[in-house]
Amino acid sequence: MKQVLIQLLADDLPLAALTLAELGMFSPGGGDDFSEQFPDVPGTRYRELYHQACTRLQKIESHITLRPLGPLAHTRVIGEQELATTNDWLGEVWERCSSFEEHFRRLTDEEHMLGQLEQTLDNFAALNFDLSRLRGERLFLDLHIGMLPSVNVPKLREAIALADYLLFNYMENTDHTHVIILGPKGAREQELRSVLDTAGFHALEIPPELDDEPQRIQGDLRQRRDALANERATRRQAMQTCGDELRTQLEQSRDRLIMAEPFVAMEDAARNRGQLGIISGWIPERELKRTESALRRRLDGPFRITATTPPRTRHRDVPTYLPVNWLTRAFSTLVKQYGVPRYGEINPTPIFAVSFIAMFGMMFGDAGHGGVIILAAWLGRKRLKSFTPFAICAGLSTSLFGLLYGSLFGYEHLFQAVWIPPLSDPLYMLRMALFWGIGFMVIMSLLYIHNQLVSGEISHALFATNGVVSVTLYLSVLTGIYRFVNTGQFGLLPAGLSLAALLALLAFKLIETQAPPGERMLVAGIETFETLTGYISNTLSFLRVAAFSLNHVALAIAVFTLADMMEGTGHWLMVIGGNLFILILEGAIVTIQALRLEYYEGFSRFFSGDGQEFKPLTLSLQGVK
Amino acid sequence: MNPIASQTYLKTRTSVMSGRLIDDAAFEAMLQEPLPRLEGEFGLTGISERGLSEAELNRHIERGLIHSLMQELSILLRPLGGTARDILVYWSRKFELLNLKALIRGKLNHLPYDQIRESLHSLPPLISLPHETLLRTENVPELLRQLEQTPYEAIARQARRVYEEKNESFSLDATIDHRYYTGLLRHARHCDAADQAPLLKLIGSLIDRQNLPWLLRYRLNYALSPSETYYLLIPSGRHLHTDLLKQLVNMQEMARILEALPEPLNSRLAGLRQIMEVEQSLTDDLNRQARKCLQLSPSAVARSLAYMMLREMDLRRVFAIIQGRVLALDPQLIRQAADLGRGVPGV
Repeated sequence: MKQVLIQLLADDLPLAALTLAELGMFSPGGGDDFSEQFPDVPGTRYRELYHQACTRLQKIESHITLRPLGPLAHTRVIGEQELATTNDWLGEVWERCSSFEEHFRRLTDEEHMLGQLEQTLDNFAALNFDLSRLRGERLFLDLHIGMLPSVNVPKLREAIALADYLLFNYMENTDHTHVIILGPKGAREQELRSVLDTAGFHALEIPPELDDEPQRIQGDLRQRRDALANERATRRQAMQTCGDELRTQLEQSRDRLIMAEPFVAMEDAARNRGQLGIISGWIPERELKRTESALRRRLDGPFRITATTPPRTRHRDVPTYLPVNWLTRAFSTLVKQYGVPRYGEINPTPIFAVSFIAMFGMMFGDAGHGGVIILAAWLGRKRLKSFTPFAICAGLSTSLFGLLYGSLFGYEHLFQAVWIPPLSDPLYMLRMALFWGIGFMVIMSLLYIHNQLVSGEISHALFATNGVVSVTLYLSVLTGIYRFVNTGQFGLLPAGLSLAALLALLAFKLIETQAPPGERMLVAGIETFETLTGYISNTLSFLRVAAFSLNHVALAIAVFTLADMMEGTGHWLMVIGGNLFILILEGAIVTIQALRLEYYEGFSRFFSGDGQEFKPLTLSLQGVK
Repeated sequence: MNPIASQTYLKTRTSVMSGRLIDDAAFEAMLQEPLPRLEGEFGLTGISERGLSEAELNRHIERGLIHSLMQELSILLRPLGGTARDILVYWSRKFELLNLKALIRGKLNHLPYDQIRESLHSLPPLISLPHETLLRTENVPELLRQLEQTPYEAIARQARRVYEEKNESFSLDATIDHRYYTGLLRHARHCDAADQAPLLKLIGSLIDRQNLPWLLRYRLNYALSPSETYYLLIPSGRHLHTDLLKQLVNMQEMARILEALPEPLNSRLAGLRQIMEVEQSLTDDLNRQARKCLQLSPSAVARSLAYMMLREMDLRRVFAIIQGRVLALDPQLIRQAADLGRGVPGV
């Protein structure tokens, strides 16, 4: 990765940004380093216009569906004036969409109100009462019929009692209560209206015909409901028509915003002082020449690219380029779930891919199940997208280990195992898992040592928890134990190496720990002990690789035992159902266990995951969201 | 953690944390302390040297102090679950309601995006609204439509009604505050029986501090009717019960209202002539109640809430001191802003 500084004319900044975005190999950054020489960051208003226009477009897209984004046929720089015009136009379109939205909301409210009114009228119609008494002006009585949110009723009842009004509720539904409010006519009517408004009171009109022609009222209400439904349909149609009319223009606006985005995404990486401008950022070394020739083709004015290798002290600020292809994309995604390696650290994706797939196969080995996984992955490739190769690899590994274990859908006698059926010698399987774990741990520690050396942390590479001394301690203790098991003696060399490594570790921890002497001794002692126990417990963790391969066979035996209790169709249904059960349940568990081993026993040993991913400028509406 | 262990843990935690509360002597010392050291103590190192504008400075200091308050809240929340956790989280929503009011006021007054954004506090995701989405709305109805998609839906619906009926921010603010305090009471009533009484007592004092100044303002400054004033008050405080509030809203003079208050409010507020003085005296009373609750309450949740309330009051005073000192204001003015020299109760 190279840190580049492109010096050019300030007027060429937008075109250079666009060109770099087209190449898709430049990540802006490090603008602060040049803030003294180039104090101005151009495009403040441009950025504001762009953000507003993007927000408007996004909101409009929730009403008008645009066609999927295709490659831009011709790119050009979008000027501030053109962007302002686009933003204004999008503002007008959004205003139309917003008024549609508001209108739909009102229609929903009206439908709700209509429902409430229907309930009220049904309620009144069932009463043996002269409804004309509830209508019109009265000489001495101020009377209101309506509804309000149920939560406001108790408080309103008390509040209007202060103005000598009474409140009666006659019907309640989910969140509203229907009430009658009455009190003496006079000076306090205005006072009541104000408090009713505050409480969200909605008056309900009692139609005069309710007494003698209830059928007509029902008909009227039905008509009003139909009218609302018609209005909704008409509005929706209008929105549709509006969308059809505006779609092309909206897509053109989207294209303009895409072309405007690179300059916006530059933020303070694009700077200027008068007519002189700079762009600073990061480019993978192999892309430098292509970048330079592309800029030469597009820019009329003079420019100069300076590329420098970032010093070790700045490695934390350098983005890490993680190249991916169709095969490694899913593995890379899983690695990034843990974190991004720092610049200079080894990219763990290839190691992760190989070891994860191998462990998945070891734990789930079955030729038939592997075939099913491959088939399912292929059939579901549209849903799985980049995870299709991942699932196919897992299926292939499962099949390969199925051949090695001699297992096909749990049947262990259909063909001869190339290697060994797991249940024939469980202790051998556990030993193999242990050896796999030891190899895995040593490789992870070597990666840690490499990463520390790259960062210039030589003392950590030698003496830290996963450094050279720790690996020596780990291997010497393992050798000693192996000798002890086989010969009854730990051995002088392993013992001497173990002791020397332990003392070296303790000394390093004592130097590293910043605390008063007593606490320093305690912390260093515990941490040294923890290094040793950590290695051992992490190694033992790998026993699960063998345990799950045994578990797989044991589950198959359980399925066949159950199937053998039945005959004919029942037997085969049990075999198929049991295999599906093993595939889904054990498949999920094995995936989680393999990931767990990778993350906790692997990644946590050699990379911190606090790096920054290299995110190049591209022509899309994603970069600044 | 089982309930007994979490209660014990929380009581110990609040007891340890109460050591962070600041007494008047410490506030006095802050006035003399070198500014860089004072900034460092509250995680605001170098704030005075960045050449920030007054608005930026306010925002930075306020954000820093709210951040430390939220960090302390997250420590207290760890052992809690269910209703006890809910009430502390709900209490902290007051800061987001400040944002909500700023957003609504900004949209009502057609303020530009940057100006509204500057006035918003940055809060943890647990209680935060989607600021960016709300800021990008272009008018109040759109803002309210967006709000209806958030946990503040109920407030948004009520705010819409008030906006459509009255179309001004005072009523919206009153509605939002009313909803908040009513919700706080409701949460307290849903807590376990053992926590309920001390929580209601503490929240009652908080509500009294809100209700009385509101009552005075609504009746005397805004000339609202007794029934509307009563409607806008929160149902039950500690000393100001429903029946008393009904009597008070019918009075038209401040002196008469203060005379009609029960003890101990009556003697504490007697003779005051300004609503601000009443508010200040009630704040002192709340401070006293919260400290008592923090030391003696049998409920760990009530102690935690009391601690958070006290810590907020303290940090507001710290904010006033740091702000005043960075802006090199007159020391007397800073003392006044930080409520120093009035004998505010200490630890």
